[in-house]
Amino acid sequence: MAKKKSPILKIFILFIIIETALVFVSGGFNKQLQIGLDDGKFVFRNIQSHYDLQERITEEFQIDEHYRQTGETPEIYGSNKTYEFFKNIFGKATAIGTFQLLRMLLIVDIMLLFIALLIKKRLLKRPSQPQILFEMIYTTLEQFVIETLGKERAHFTPYIVTLFLFIWVCNMVGMIPIPGFMEPTRNLNVPLGLGLFAVAIVHITALKVKGVWGHLKNYVNPVKNPLFLLDIIGELSKVVSISFRLFGNVLGGAIIILVVSSLVSYVVFPVGLNLFFGMFVGTIQAFVFTMLALTYIGVEISE
Amino acid sequence: MDNITLAQGIVKAAALLGAGMCMGMGALGPGVGEGFVAGKACEGIARSPENASLITRTMLVGQAVSESTGIYSLVIALLLIFST
Repeated sequence: MAKKKSPILKIFILFIIIETALVFVSGGFNKQLQIGLDDGKFVFRNIQSHYDLQERITEEFQIDEHYRQTGETPEIYGSNKTYEFFKNIFGKATAIGTFQLLRMLLIVDIMLLFIALLIKKRLLKRPSQPQILFEMIYTTLEQFVIETLGKERAHFTPYIVTLFLFIWVCNMVGMIPIPGFMEPTRNLNVPLGLGLFAVAIVHITALKVKGVWGHLKNYVNPVKNPLFLLDIIGELSKVVSISFRLFGNVLGGAIIILVVSSLVSYVVFPVGLNLFFGMFVGTIQAFVFTMLALTYIGVEISE
Repeated sequence: MDNITLAQGIVKAAALLGAGMCMGMGALGPGVGEGFVAGKACEGIARSPENASLITRTMLVGQAVSESTGIYSLVIALLLIFST
């Protein structure tokens, strides 16, 4: 008679299957696994793991610098003509990095559009499961907006939901083990743009609500507010703080995953680390970014 | 990478040392702060267990915000390591 398997054993077997599948996928299909005896020791490693950690990190995070140091020609463009085209636009220093960033942003946008169209196509009165999920996200964030800004300003909800979903999908897309896939938020330009946009929206809203002079008198009136320069610096530091928080979390997680993978010679795909730094930290940081943008708007309006 | 002068080597060593000290000191504050927040959240949950989900959510957001100084020091340490 068959004994019922405990759920822990089931999870363990699933974990092993995912590990072995991801080992071969994450190698990019061009690496070979070496299992056997080598120099009298038992060996289980990727053969192409001879380069050291510093070079690997440079290749992963500063790809233009890597190609400049090694002098190799990048393979990603296929032909020289395409590379020259991108080099003319972006300059030699950041050609490949910018190309990769734009490619990943395009992939994220296509995924978001695809999900949105798929949900919109089959809106039902008795909702299906994905529709319930997205309605839950929308109503939860709408509740936050109404609590912070009041019921008459609930029209901020689409912006907040879009911000959350975009950053969340950006953080999630780096977990797909395809070579060349990375989080777009790993590049500083994306969080900096989002932060600048959020602070710009804060000030445009304040100008609309309080009037031009009503808003500007906090900043340009030296009699009422002698330390107005510090206020302006504080507004700029909002951008820096909100964007560097997201950027540093994503980049730090990616570097830790890379270092741990190099410690095990790229054999074991770190599923647990990907779960923590990819899913948990990614979700929390997307939520924190959204909540901070909402709080900035709320503080500026309520005065 | 192999042929560097003595001065470049000293600069690189100082940058690596500075990166290590930056992370070590910068991790003190967020560690203390996050532990404080988690302890207070435990007290709150013990006092009113019916608000546990709200307290947990607020605790996570607060920890993520108070973590940001540690993240800044991480960014500075990475700059020191990879850009010198």
